[in-house]
Amino acid sequence: MSDRETLLKVEHLCQYFRAGNFVTKAVDDVSFDIKKGEVFGLVGESGCGKTTTGRSIIKLYNITSGNVIFKGVRIAAGIQSYKDNIKKAKEEKIPNLSEYIAEQKKLIKEAKYDQKNCDKEYSKKRVAELKEKYEPLIAKASDPAEKDKLTKEYKEEVYKARRTKLVTQIQMIFQDPIASLDPRMTVREIIAEGLIIQGERNKNVIDQKVYEMLELVGLVPEHASRYPHEFSGGQRQRIGVARSIIMNPELIIADEPVSALDVSVQAQVINLLNDLRDRFGLTILFIAHDLSVVKYFSDRIGVMYYGKLVELADSDELFAHPLHPYTRSLLSAIPLPDPIYEKARKRIVYNPLAEHDYSVDKPSLREVSPGHFVQCNDAEYEKIMQELGGNH
Amino acid sequence: MNEKLQVRNLRISFRTSNGKVQAVRDISFDLSKGETLAIVGESGSGKSVTSKAILGILAGNSIVESGEIIYDGKDLLKISEEDFHKIRGDKIAMIFQDPMSSLNPIVRIGRQLTEAMLLKGKARQRECRATFNGYLKNLNRAMVNAVAKNDSARAAEINENCRKFDKFEFKHIELESAYKKSFEAAGETVDDIEKIAFELEKKSVSKGSTDRINDIAKQSVDSINEYVVSPENKAEVYALARSLRSEFAKAKKTLNFDETLRILYKLRDFAKEGVAKKAPNFFCMGYYLTFSDKPLPDMPVDELNKFLHDYIDRDFMLAFIGDAEKALEYSSGKCCENMRSTIEKLNDARKVFTRENLDSKECHAVYKELAAAVKSCIDVLSISKDSLSFTFAPSLKSQIDNYFHAIGANVKAQRVHDRDQRKFDRIVARGKKPDWEVADAAITDLELIKENILTIITRLVDHYDEILANYSERNFADETVAVIDYLKENASGVVDKVTRRVAKHRAIKLMDEVGIAEPHKRYRQYPFEFSGGMRQRIVIAIALAANPDILICDEPTTALDVTIQAQILELINNLKEERNLSVIFITHDLGVVANMADRVAVMYAGKIVEYGTSEDIFYHAAHPYTWALLSSMPDLDTDEKLEAIPGTPPNMIYPPKGDAFAPRNRYAMQIDFERQPPMFKISDTHFAATWLLHPDAPKVDPPKAVVDRIRRMNERRANKDE
Repeated sequence: MSDRETLLKVEHLCQYFRAGNFVTKAVDDVSFDIKKGEVFGLVGESGCGKTTTGRSIIKLYNITSGNVIFKGVRIAAGIQSYKDNIKKAKEEKIPNLSEYIAEQKKLIKEAKYDQKNCDKEYSKKRVAELKEKYEPLIAKASDPAEKDKLTKEYKEEVYKARRTKLVTQIQMIFQDPIASLDPRMTVREIIAEGLIIQGERNKNVIDQKVYEMLELVGLVPEHASRYPHEFSGGQRQRIGVARSIIMNPELIIADEPVSALDVSVQAQVINLLNDLRDRFGLTILFIAHDLSVVKYFSDRIGVMYYGKLVELADSDELFAHPLHPYTRSLLSAIPLPDPIYEKARKRIVYNPLAEHDYSVDKPSLREVSPGHFVQCNDAEYEKIMQELGGNH
Repeated sequence: MNEKLQVRNLRISFRTSNGKVQAVRDISFDLSKGETLAIVGESGSGKSVTSKAILGILAGNSIVESGEIIYDGKDLLKISEEDFHKIRGDKIAMIFQDPMSSLNPIVRIGRQLTEAMLLKGKARQRECRATFNGYLKNLNRAMVNAVAKNDSARAAEINENCRKFDKFEFKHIELESAYKKSFEAAGETVDDIEKIAFELEKKSVSKGSTDRINDIAKQSVDSINEYVVSPENKAEVYALARSLRSEFAKAKKTLNFDETLRILYKLRDFAKEGVAKKAPNFFCMGYYLTFSDKPLPDMPVDELNKFLHDYIDRDFMLAFIGDAEKALEYSSGKCCENMRSTIEKLNDARKVFTRENLDSKECHAVYKELAAAVKSCIDVLSISKDSLSFTFAPSLKSQIDNYFHAIGANVKAQRVHDRDQRKFDRIVARGKKPDWEVADAAITDLELIKENILTIITRLVDHYDEILANYSERNFADETVAVIDYLKENASGVVDKVTRRVAKHRAIKLMDEVGIAEPHKRYRQYPFEFSGGMRQRIVIAIALAANPDILICDEPTTALDVTIQAQILELINNLKEERNLSVIFITHDLGVVANMADRVAVMYAGKIVEYGTSEDIFYHAAHPYTWALLSSMPDLDTDEKLEAIPGTPPNMIYPPKGDAFAPRNRYAMQIDFERQPPMFKISDTHFAATWLLHPDAPKVDPPKAVVDRIRRMNERRANKDE
């Protein structure tokens, strides 16, 4: 797993919301990376910021601070941390203050530029690539008819490339299949919308692609001219999946794609996502609260609690050796279809005040065994290492 | 009467523009007191429709084709909307699936929570008053008839006793509720102080801390009562409470809580002392204070109790209880006599209803006679209501009306059918082939109605026979005690006044119970400020606010995450045990069912396909649909591909002729497509409707996923036992 290329890297992501004087820290200093081809699960209770993390990655929000790096390109960057650095430096009156401030201001400028222009850069790069590819071809072509054809093709491609955004390679599947589909658009329009925005103008190509996608997700081409309300919940969620994979994404952010569905239909959608993943080598960020499903589906799992990532590990490792008390409490709450066991099950209650003493020693995310990260401070780190030493 | 709710042969359809959708097709189940029944199925299987029918909130286009839902002596399908107001929310409450659409977006959370409490509080007070007065009056009359038939002096004495009981009973409840209020306040003070002191010692202050400190101050003042925190300490407690607020405001800035903690611990010690005190017997004390001129003697609680008890026994109680016992015996004896004559009348009436053609006048006359006779069999002094006697008259009436209505309607339907048939024949005669067929005439089976009438009568006769057979075993002394408790309960309902302040206090406590942080702040917010999980908790709090008898949970935790789900389920389970609630739990998540249910009903396409205890369903499932449900959900040990159920549920406008699950069923046989399977009995508690259980069917094993899982579960339990 570790030798694979890193597709998405999230560094110190913070997303604050301001309501009057009160600041809600929805996501607070979250870092993780997702390798190509893996399924990364994000779990936690409602309101812990997992959906916000997903939406921040796809740039539905402007992030407060931190970086999101996708395929080596910084696609989102926040500036709050640099501002805080400046403020702190001023208060502490560190030596060579002005230099430090200038440095931070430069970083702010860069972050603002990246945040705004990453897509432009990408499309420029695409256009330049096309230019490199087509110009020699056109120059080489002797036949004027062929030349015309090539020129036309070149123009069409450039038209598309100008509209291409890097972020479209990340696609999202939403939780509620009813609310996320426009009731006044036919299935064809819904699925093709992304293609059209990206500059595809050939109707035949669009239709062909739409039919292909419909078949891929287990619907039939006749469904293309129907409206969303004519479908059942599971079928609607399939339309949502088709809409996202038509853009040929590298990364899919699946925000609770099965929580609103019946058990039997849930299985259908999970099987579908699994098939697609095997076929296209998709990378998936799977956000969910049903731990059985996450365990079944993900390679690695991150556990979030009140905006912070508290534990991160391979899924088997996490379920076998949960180290953070919150993870333990979460695992103890999973219901199983076994009445006798269920009636004896004891839920572990997590109370952060009683569990940790962070008044002096601040916690951070540390690696306790290869690939297993836990949020802890020095004292807890030592305790965990002792426990692990005893086990191994 | 252990059954709280009985659903029998319920059939519900919906009129739509495409035709009649059969949502529920002939289901029956019982719900006992303190039991959880889980209804499991896919969406569209009719589970929500069933629960809505119980609550009387079916959509306007619904048709209840047949069936009965019997609760507390009433058939909920036949009572008026006015009567339903008394039941809905108060007796039967529902937690809805979608928290978004079940809260009012423009009303604050606090108001929505207290609204029901305030409204129902008043209504309950009125109702308790009416019940108390009515019952005491009946008891009084029965006493006079039983003991003092021709003795006017004795009758006057009894009347006087009843008036006395009425008078001092309210004094008792007043004393007791004042005591309870203080006692609860003291208990809460101890708990709250311990919680907040723990946080203050760690120097952690949140936004709600000030509110909580204010609460503690208020509660410790409330806890002053003669039998809790003694009034001698009144001045000191007041002073402490006052200084607590100012001290905390100061300490918040400096984060030095030593002084605040000292005050808190002092208040806690007072409250603890108060909680440890023994409560006097308020029932006897109420009597003493009302009718004795002397003040209460000053002695320890134990001696005081004994003294008061002797006093009331000597002066009043023994005589009253003796009379009441005789009254109960008299009243039930009379009812039994009536029953004997009624049984004869009922048996005679059979002749009228078995004739070839019923006569309208005769039938209605017999109906009137029977209704009056059955009414005379109802014991007014019995606390639990006899459902069958109460529902007899309306059911009989509706069946008779149906019969005479059907005679006319059948002729009409036949005429329409004949006309259509002639038209069809004409078209065929012209040599054309029409693309439609003539539908069968919608004729109601008159014989079936007659049979229904006879069933109603037979059922009542059997019921009465049973009562008469058990009559000699009744213990009237025990029943008298139950009657006095019943009266006390109603009296406390009258005194239990829900003011705005009480309601707010209760609401905040409920919000705390369902796990909402900083309830004081949240109380003033609007629904849009809450996340989905939080909103669902509010909805649950609202449902519990009115203290219902039966709780219907329609997928309450589907939208919540695991920890919250576990908390909510625990909450419902605890409440169920505390208040002896009956719960109907509707869900599609089998993991949840295993935790909650005593019994499980699996529904598919409007029918119950399997029915049994949760052990039966999870360890010995017999229906292919249950297998499919079990194998399509992943658990923590699942690695292989999930077995999704292929296809979709059938369109219920055209319900399939055979087993509805057959087209999606791997194990379907020829007969599954042709005939509907009956319910096969597997054990006393376990039933399943599948042809696989027929003796002639081939032996089929459950799918591998299910077998594996059961094996894993057994292994895990075995490991745990070691």
